[in-house]
Amino acid sequence: MQQDAGPPPVRNWDPETDDTLVCRAVRDETQDVKTFVFAPRHPCLFRFKPGQFITLELPIGGETIHRSYTVSSSAARPHRLSITVKRVPGGPVSNWLHDHLKPGDTIRAVGPLGEFTPGVSEAPRKFLFLSGGSGITPLMSMTRTFDDLGDDHDIIFVHAARTPADIVFRRELDALTGPGRHLRVAHVCEEVGGEAHWAGFTGRLSLPMLGLIAPDFKDREVFVCGPGPFMKAVRAFLEEGGFDMSRYHQESFNFEEMAAVLAAGAPPPMAAPILDMPSPTGFRVEFAKSGKVFTCPPDMPVADAASAADIRVPTSCSQGLCGTCKTRLIAGTVEMNHTGGIRKREIDQGLILLCCSRPTSDLVIER
Amino acid sequence: MSSEISIEALLTRRKKGYSLEAPFYTSEEIFKLDMEIIFGRHWLHVGVEPDVPEPGDVMVVDIGKTSVIVMRDDDMELRAYHNVCRHRGARIILKDKTSVGNLVCSYHQWTYGQDGELLFAEHMGNDFDRKCRNLKKVHIRSVGGLIFICLAEEAPDDIDRMAAAIEPYILPHDLRNCKVAKTVDLIEKGNWKLTMENNRECYHCVGNHPELTIPLFEYGFGFAPDGTNPKRMEHAAKYEALVQSCHAGWEAAGFPSREVERLADVTGFRTERLPLDGAGEAHTKDTRSASRKLLGSIGERKLGALSFWTQPNSWNHFMSDHIVTFSVLPLGPDRNLLRTRWLVHKDAVEGVDYDLNRLTEVWEATNQQDADLVEISHKGTLSPAYEPGPYSPYTEPLVEKFTEWYVGRMSEHLLGKQAAMGVAAE
Repeated sequence: MQQDAGPPPVRNWDPETDDTLVCRAVRDETQDVKTFVFAPRHPCLFRFKPGQFITLELPIGGETIHRSYTVSSSAARPHRLSITVKRVPGGPVSNWLHDHLKPGDTIRAVGPLGEFTPGVSEAPRKFLFLSGGSGITPLMSMTRTFDDLGDDHDIIFVHAARTPADIVFRRELDALTGPGRHLRVAHVCEEVGGEAHWAGFTGRLSLPMLGLIAPDFKDREVFVCGPGPFMKAVRAFLEEGGFDMSRYHQESFNFEEMAAVLAAGAPPPMAAPILDMPSPTGFRVEFAKSGKVFTCPPDMPVADAASAADIRVPTSCSQGLCGTCKTRLIAGTVEMNHTGGIRKREIDQGLILLCCSRPTSDLVIER
Repeated sequence: MSSEISIEALLTRRKKGYSLEAPFYTSEEIFKLDMEIIFGRHWLHVGVEPDVPEPGDVMVVDIGKTSVIVMRDDDMELRAYHNVCRHRGARIILKDKTSVGNLVCSYHQWTYGQDGELLFAEHMGNDFDRKCRNLKKVHIRSVGGLIFICLAEEAPDDIDRMAAAIEPYILPHDLRNCKVAKTVDLIEKGNWKLTMENNRECYHCVGNHPELTIPLFEYGFGFAPDGTNPKRMEHAAKYEALVQSCHAGWEAAGFPSREVERLADVTGFRTERLPLDGAGEAHTKDTRSASRKLLGSIGERKLGALSFWTQPNSWNHFMSDHIVTFSVLPLGPDRNLLRTRWLVHKDAVEGVDYDLNRLTEVWEATNQQDADLVEISHKGTLSPAYEPGPYSPYTEPLVEKFTEWYVGRMSEHLLGKQAAMGVAAE
């Protein structure tokens, strides 16, 4: 008699072999924030760490645009993966997603990647999550993952929004604070908006306010994600408050927002080494694996800029011939003039040679 | 065991129709000569074009101490180079298969173009002449998609004759538009000549290959009409009639089928399209096709199995739905690598058009059975009691032809052409 071997094991999603995702649902979170739920084309599982991002390749206006979005869904629910995107005025990608992407559509993607993650450990830990606007997504992924796994870490989740109506995942966060859980949530709104009875914090997040929300913040591991000015302010007041910055982690993937700010002629934010904002004289380049960040002038090969910033990259010929500096471009665009060291199909797969690639946007590079 | 008698003397006194004397299978010294004379100067089958389907694809083949890079260039041409950097000799390509832009030595990044030209070498000064440091070329030739290389300075030119004769047989199977569904490396614990001898007869099939003899008729490789077993006589007669009718039908349909046998050539080969038992479609356990997508423009499933052998180191089976290729590469006097590839139409989807296990199970089982036979043969030749025994004149004439070819090729190089002719004419 034939034995029933049961269903075959489900494979992990591998963008090297199938980089296509199918949109399965689009959900409204607030008036200008939507969640897009994706499934692999064939049954397989997404394996990622909470806090990681995925890079979408989108055909917009006859061009191929790469954009990275942190995953908002739980890493413990591997059948689906979702991103949560805020509409950015003038942002080509977020508007395209909001206006065009619908269930059944397919898009290409690589990842998930990134080092902005608390990892998963069952030993109780104390966290302080500070998020601004759509920067809530990686912290939501972490919180959902911990909850799904029953890892009852002591988390204080602080979210800064413009008005109460702009708070993303508001009801779900409230629900996660139920009995037996060590999650506390505090929302900080700049204005009360239409919610006259808003009982949460108003104004901007500050050190005194943090002292009220999380008196023990110095004992906690801090994860921060949000717009550049938000992170800059947070960093400044944490330092002022005597926080041990070795326990500070931050993430920003708001390229679109930054680009929109620059395009609108807003003054570039003040230079701060870790704030990672593009300076007017160059593009921000991030090496995703090492976490190193530097600025690259538009007319300079990335390898040279890395070298100028004292970041060592294996390289040899410096003319696009030997391929020693080959690596993956995760986000952004470059102009590459190689001389045979890389194949067309490798370029199609997202690989570049750092010695002969000049940035034409901010970059995230897997190196 | 070996040193008292010279190799020349052993070659000269080789008795026709008998297996070789033990040192040919066991001696380190003769193995070195085999590598130099047979594997160093003849065309070797080492792979198939679908191993390197796209520009920049690279495959490394190791033949003894020689490592060869087989590459597909931008013009889709095949190229082969010694896998040795012209700087300080490091191996350039370290993986069995990979894709590259240029060929770059990972040690000091000396960079060679697809034409083998040294394009870049830093820190070598102004007097350094790059032109003298190009990669060393290896002869390469595709015969209907089967890749052959030759390590000699001058390669035997009769490969053209072989290509002209064999391509009409194999081109309908369109190997170039196949994909490698699986490659298996099997180490056989015996001398490479024992592997080849074993391959050249089916005397051992009924007693050892329960899977292979489902599709394969043992009679295709020789038969003794001694009348001792009437049932077998009857089968053999039926088989002979089947061959005649199949060949006539296949040839009329444009599939050359009749035997061509030039095993005595420098680039020795033999081919014949053999009818198969049962449904007659493929080397599978139910004798039906393993892949739904037929090869090339073939519309007929029942096309038997075209057998194509080359000397010194290959045999291949071309069927309507898949191809199996075999390449033997010696690793030592008592060890060789049998590399088997199964190919299906490049658009065939695993799990949809074919089941990998069904595709490969007959030959995976058969290869292991043959490896076991080679191992016991080799162990036997190590015994002082071993002496050359007679080949069957009915079921082993093709073994004799292999051995004769080997002795002839070795004699020509060691004793000169005249002597070799003398040996052959005796």
